[in-house]
Amino acid sequence: MALLEVKDLKVHFETDDGIVQAVDGVSYTVDRGQALGIVGESGSGKSVSSLTVMGLTRFAGNARISGSITFDGKDLLAASDEELRRLRGNDVAMIFQDPLSSLHPFYKIGDQLVEAVQAHRDTSKAQAMDRAVEMLGLVGIPEPRRRVESYPHEFSGGMRQRVMIAMALINDPKLLIADEPTTALDVTVQAQILDLIQRLQRELDTAIVMITHDLGVVAEVADDIGVMYAGRIVEYAAKETIFAAPEHPYTWGLLKSIPRLDSPRGEELVPIPGRPPSLILKPTGCAFHPRCFYVREAHTRIDPQLAPAGEAGNGDNRVGAAGHGHEVACLLPGQTRRALWAALQAGEVPDAALERVDVPETAVDREAVGEVLAPAPSDEAPVPPEETAP
Amino acid sequence: MRRSVRWTLCASVVTALAMFLAACGGNDNGGGGGGGGTVTTQTKVQEGKKGGSLTFLAAGDVDWMDPGQTYYTFGYQVAYAVNRTLYSFKPDDSIKPVPDLAEGEPEISADNKTVTVHLKKGIKYAPPVNREVKAADIKYAFERSFSKEVPSGYAGTYFGTIVGTPDKPNSGDIKPISGIETPDDSTIVFKLKDATAPLISQALVMPITTPVPQEYAEKYDKSTPSKYNQYVAFTGPYMVKNDPTTGKLTGWQPGKQIQMVRNPNWDAKTDYRPAYLDSVTIEEGNDDLTTAARRALNGSGLACCDSGAPPAPVLKQALQRNKDQVVFVPSGGTRYIAFNMTVKPFDNINIRKAIIAFSDRNALRLTRGGAVLGDIATGWIPPDFPGFKEGGGLKQNTDLDYLKNPNGDPALAKKYMLAAKKDDPSLPIDANGKWTGGEKILTVATNADPGKKTAEVFQGQIEQLGFKLNFRVVPQDSLYTKFCSEPEAKVAICPNVGWFKDFVDPQSMLDATFNGKNILQHGNVNWPQLNVPAINDAMKQASTLAVGTERNTAWAKINHMIAEQAPAIPWIWDKSATVASKNVQLVVNGYDTAMDLNFSSLK
Amino acid sequence: MAAFIIRRLLWMVVLLLVISFLTYIIFYTLPAADPVALRAGRLATPELRASIEHTLGLDKPWYIQYLKYLDRLVLHFDFGYSYQNSISVKSQIFDRLPATGALAVGGALVWLLVGIPVGIISAIKRGTWMDRLAMGGALVAISAPVYWLGLVSLYLFSKGLGKIPLFEGQGAYPNTGTIVSDPGHVIPALILPWCVLAASFAAVYARFLRGNLLETMSEDYIRTARAKGLRERAVVFKHGVRSAITPIVTILGLDLGILLGGAILTETVFNIPGIGRLAYDAIQKSDLPTVQGTVLMGAFFIILLNLVVDVIYAFLDPRVRY
Repeated sequence: MALLEVKDLKVHFETDDGIVQAVDGVSYTVDRGQALGIVGESGSGKSVSSLTVMGLTRFAGNARISGSITFDGKDLLAASDEELRRLRGNDVAMIFQDPLSSLHPFYKIGDQLVEAVQAHRDTSKAQAMDRAVEMLGLVGIPEPRRRVESYPHEFSGGMRQRVMIAMALINDPKLLIADEPTTALDVTVQAQILDLIQRLQRELDTAIVMITHDLGVVAEVADDIGVMYAGRIVEYAAKETIFAAPEHPYTWGLLKSIPRLDSPRGEELVPIPGRPPSLILKPTGCAFHPRCFYVREAHTRIDPQLAPAGEAGNGDNRVGAAGHGHEVACLLPGQTRRALWAALQAGEVPDAALERVDVPETAVDREAVGEVLAPAPSDEAPVPPEETAP
Repeated sequence: MRRSVRWTLCASVVTALAMFLAACGGNDNGGGGGGGGTVTTQTKVQEGKKGGSLTFLAAGDVDWMDPGQTYYTFGYQVAYAVNRTLYSFKPDDSIKPVPDLAEGEPEISADNKTVTVHLKKGIKYAPPVNREVKAADIKYAFERSFSKEVPSGYAGTYFGTIVGTPDKPNSGDIKPISGIETPDDSTIVFKLKDATAPLISQALVMPITTPVPQEYAEKYDKSTPSKYNQYVAFTGPYMVKNDPTTGKLTGWQPGKQIQMVRNPNWDAKTDYRPAYLDSVTIEEGNDDLTTAARRALNGSGLACCDSGAPPAPVLKQALQRNKDQVVFVPSGGTRYIAFNMTVKPFDNINIRKAIIAFSDRNALRLTRGGAVLGDIATGWIPPDFPGFKEGGGLKQNTDLDYLKNPNGDPALAKKYMLAAKKDDPSLPIDANGKWTGGEKILTVATNADPGKKTAEVFQGQIEQLGFKLNFRVVPQDSLYTKFCSEPEAKVAICPNVGWFKDFVDPQSMLDATFNGKNILQHGNVNWPQLNVPAINDAMKQASTLAVGTERNTAWAKINHMIAEQAPAIPWIWDKSATVASKNVQLVVNGYDTAMDLNFSSLK
Repeated sequence: MAAFIIRRLLWMVVLLLVISFLTYIIFYTLPAADPVALRAGRLATPELRASIEHTLGLDKPWYIQYLKYLDRLVLHFDFGYSYQNSISVKSQIFDRLPATGALAVGGALVWLLVGIPVGIISAIKRGTWMDRLAMGGALVAISAPVYWLGLVSLYLFSKGLGKIPLFEGQGAYPNTGTIVSDPGHVIPALILPWCVLAASFAAVYARFLRGNLLETMSEDYIRTARAKGLRERAVVFKHGVRSAITPIVTILGLDLGILLGGAILTETVFNIPGIGRLAYDAIQKSDLPTVQGTVLMGAFFIILLNLVVDVIYAFLDPRVRY
């Protein structure tokens, strides 16, 4: 049984401007000790999905949540606030992007760690402090016994993130959600933090959900990768597959927009044009179509579903203990996708690739192909009322 | 004084000297009764019950506790309860003073140059002085009032004819005055440069004649200004609570309260005052007199207010529901709206007449509370004052058409406006008699009700005639010292001026206020700056007339001459009102028109 | 820290000097009334005026007067004597300070005790009827002038005047005794004034705290606190309120400083003999020594409390260091 199973999770926020479909049918699984990377631009809903796992979106007061989240056999969406609170910081922990703003400026580091222990364990303050010191040592804070007396602003950025990690892991959680843990840090420090997370994962056998916009980060840490766009997972595969044989134009864009040491010399970096879509008024059809190089008219009408990619049924593509195969939500025919990637892989820019590869006008009709693995959108999924749309 | 237009009671003008000379000249014993008119107070003094304590609610504080300096109504109200002067007034007779410290009437020499007063024996100071009052104490009281340490407002003008007083008052340290002699401890003799004994003897009611024990007061008088103000030695039926050893007034916290208790050394046998109450507390700082007056009416053992006029709405209510809790006495004065005759267009008599004719004085009076608060004034000699009857009483000057209609006469106003246009075709007046000039006329009013309301109602009236005002409201204290009494300020209209009696004599009502010779660069009270030689001369002549019908008629005539010049709109001869709780038997003294703390009692 | 405090205290002296100088200048250029005329009365002869001018020292050039004033103030801590009645300004001020102090500090307690809980509840229960009721009430309290509120409270609740005579009203404040020496009389007399004075402040503080807390509750460290699994009560109070309330210290210091310089309206309505009324009367009467004394006293409190606030802030917020 998977440690965390998220099925068709939808998180919509009611706002004055309309309904924000932050997460719109996301499914993934994480096994014990395994690391899942969720990659996407900011505003793709990747943070919201994990905050929902923690039950933190409940505090917003305006969130409508549907689907299911099962953690360690327990249905988290049905759990009471108090049950979720017991879970948070104990079984599931989380670290955040900006360690400075994520630590309370008025309290000493030691006290903030002690608080995390005492929220779940009935221990004395002294015992909790010993545990805090131990954890700080474990995450590589020098002189931890002395440093527990320090305030957050007295630490460097990297040290603060180490403190955050220590705080997250202090109760031996089964799952650690790391939300852009290195984004706010210097490049040199980033690597150290990632190494630390990896090391601790191995040592403590913690499952990890790593949320990032940076494929480079998950390249080191993750076993599986889900690529999120506009509240959906658009491609889901083992890490190696994502890097070697990605099939979604958005994933190609992400890969081509990061510098890589192993890419051919002189290869151009190609940014993804445009901006992430509004989650209130999503584009029709494929949500990525306004930014896609290979868009055809049909793509603006048909909403692609996540479906097995590559050679369907080929065991090589099966990833992780959860047994997912390589899945992609794209309306281009599989052959076309592979041909395009091959061209891009060879160092061509998208326009050049388009000239070489013939992209058919019609979209792949998922019903006809019969490759649907992802469940069809359920009827009871929240649909934004017409009148709230601006 | 910020809460009352009444400035002072007994301060006088130099001309008053002449008046009394004339009034009492040749009268050998002439003591006491100087007045020629009859001022009746509405106070019937009933026997009271002894005991109890009363709290008087006041907005302000006494000006001075030092009897040598006190100068305002409220100061007098307290002074006459804690001090004894040579002579003083019973509440129901404000004309004839009665001997207080004095044994009997003052003895005036045949040449009117010597006044001798014998003192009662056995009058003792309150602790800590405790000794008997001596004639020398009164001599010292005079001497200190002529020093710069005790800047008395009236010593120089009023008692300057005593031999040996310095020419310039208040210059130099406390020096003996040779003209005051004390042949023995109970006799004091005033030697005068001129034959002014009748006047001086009349003035011996003033607080300056309160004895001050030299050996005790000297150390406080040495500092400039004197600190005696906080160490007064009392002789009255009451005393302000003090430290029994140093004499420091612990019961007086300026701006907060004055606690008066019985003077243990006061001997009722030596005094005409009954002093029913055991103690009186003056609660100060009641700026909101509406609330304070309501408290007094609803409460028990309370009285209000120091301004002489609780706000009109409360009074009206009180008259309907608690009539017996309100006492009115005529305040002996006139309120008027003064035009500055040196400022255009008020140099034109027809303009002034037009505005007077137009003004609805009934509406103006309503701002103070209507008819109960006084009669509509048609001149400057108030009811029951000498000269009032002779001038035609309440109808004085109503032969002048512009003073005839208390509700205003727009047609007449139009007539005078057109007459003004005829006088001077350059005046911006249209065919309907409306002023069309754009220039704004500087008008300075008080910022406190009811004066502010009066001024606003007047503003509404004059604007109907087309005049545009630059209407400024300022604190009462600024009103006089910065604007209306400073000719340089060139204020065109002062809607909140008034003049109240110094003496029960018509001259005191008209001389300072309308004699062209009395226009001053600072502290001017001839607000219209009326300077008509005929009037000035008439005043000079009338001042020499002896007290009686002839004198009264002469001043009534001057009153009419002034009204003919239309220098101002007289609109009320007001009464001062005091309110008290149901269980208070309220007695108001007609002399200072304030609650008499010596005669009031609890029921 | 010590160096900081000393530096600030020195600054305070400089500031007070500047303020006293400005007060002098303003008095000489824009006096409210002529003190000599006020003292001399309505029939002042030029001789009497001259004599009073001399007695008050007004016959000397203003800078000489100012230097003399400074000399007395600095060397003898002597504020001079009232132009009006020659009473020592220092004794007047110290006589009235306890009343203003008790009014201001007590009022502050009331508005904190009301404003803080209301603000917190409003923020936590944002959008509910409780929030709407509290914020609507706050708007009313802010809009109501103290003078009006004071009179309404007097005519409703004060003994001797009110429809429901529950509390002591106007003039109940004892003229001798302070809240320390005579609490039995002072405290009952101050109940209504405290409430009236506190009403608008409580409203402002409640709104301020509500806004602050709402903002704070969206801070990252609140998310962290929740992610740690803290109970919501601890999240709100230990993490949220602790941050949101800190700026209150700053405005409290300022408000208290201003009020210690005199709560004129409340003092007037309830006839409480405080600094504010003393200052107001003195200004009306152009009583420069008293005006100077009260202005300096007010400025002193404002500056001092600013310093106190800064020092306290350093303890409340460890990021602040001097």
